[in-house]
Amino acid sequence: MTSYTVRDWVYIAVFGALWGALELTLGAYLHVLFPPLANTFFTGLIMAGIGALIALVGRTFVPQTGAVLFIGIITALLKVLSLGGVKIGPVVAILAEVILMELALLSKASPARWRYVLAGALAVTWNFFHKFVMMRLLYGQGISEVYVKMVKEGSHTLGLDVRQAVAIIVVLFLLRVAVGAVAGWLGWDLGRLVARRLART
Amino acid sequence: MTSLRSRLNAGSYLAFLVWALVLVALLPDSHLGPLLALVVAFGWLTGRGGLQVLASRRLWMFLLSTLAVTPFILGEADVRWGLLRLSRDGLETGFWMALRAATLMLAFGVSVAALSLAQMMHLFDRLGLRGLGFALGVALNLGPTLHDTVEAAYHTLRLRGGLRRPIQTARLFLITVVANALRYGDDVVQAASARAFDPAAGTGRGEPALGRADRAFIAGLAALGVGLLLAG
Repeated sequence: MTSYTVRDWVYIAVFGALWGALELTLGAYLHVLFPPLANTFFTGLIMAGIGALIALVGRTFVPQTGAVLFIGIITALLKVLSLGGVKIGPVVAILAEVILMELALLSKASPARWRYVLAGALAVTWNFFHKFVMMRLLYGQGISEVYVKMVKEGSHTLGLDVRQAVAIIVVLFLLRVAVGAVAGWLGWDLGRLVARRLART
Repeated sequence: MTSLRSRLNAGSYLAFLVWALVLVALLPDSHLGPLLALVVAFGWLTGRGGLQVLASRRLWMFLLSTLAVTPFILGEADVRWGLLRLSRDGLETGFWMALRAATLMLAFGVSVAALSLAQMMHLFDRLGLRGLGFALGVALNLGPTLHDTVEAAYHTLRLRGGLRRPIQTARLFLITVVANALRYGDDVVQAASARAFDPAAGTGRGEPALGRADRAFIAGLAALGVGLLLAG
């Protein structure tokens, strides 16, 4: 931690504040726009993609181990300290995403585009598991019965085979991987574009 | 009441949150009642601010919707109520699910309500993360500046007809916002440097992160947790 300069901490604050501001404005707006059941598919996916993009741009300006984690902690704390009720879900999601991104970026080698793509993909992929983890935490064992019942009734109502349900789940998972990878790719480019604009390369 | 709050620091509230999370995940349904009672009691003893969650319409809608839906989707329907066929097992399962969710949300509300910005910064300072506390303070004060930056960038692009080319405009918008935010960050760096701020020189060094009351509180939490788990 001693290698962090004042500039590093201020930049961490800037990117944490940017992500936090988006969570508090766009995130709240999307939660109103989409019904709660659709959150996993739209709100979480969009917010995770944008969050990963901002955190990875921040990593370009603070090329230190732990920078993305600190950006996420600042974002989570802004979310906690803001008005508007209990927000345990988004806080858990933000922290899980930054930990996954940090793991992907954990290397002494100079940063590479593929690491950003991997970090973005891992971060947004968390969105797929998030609902299951939160449901398990909030509802306990009972949630497994809900899922089994929903899958059975869903496959019966839609006339779908259970194997097709698995295929749909795989597609949803791959969609998250793709969105995260794009966020990582754009994060790499955007960071360099801004650095060039500020004449820092 | 306030004496307990003044004796505990942020570390205790974070420990309480982790303790509640672990117990909610591990305890059997039948032991959730005592855990909820402990969470409510702690919230009451530390100033009742965290219990304001109980006045939230959103929380009650969430809990009541869980209770209302589960008799229809869980278990075998064994009760007929007019045209509706309900399951007693489903209702019971729904009750435990709602209790678990309420416990977790209250624990989160109680812990967060007790944590002030100053306490968090003090905690980071004592943990040797003075820079993180500083960054949190900067981030909290950046809000209005970011708002102005975003607004100025958006209106500039809009007035120049940027909305006709949405992808290129989005790219320009992002670059402008991030670049301007970083320029503002440079001003903050200069101001901090002028005041000889050093993120590595923690003022709280030498002081323990947890006081005697905190250690006693955390030991008590651990004992209560083990007791609840063993009783299960």
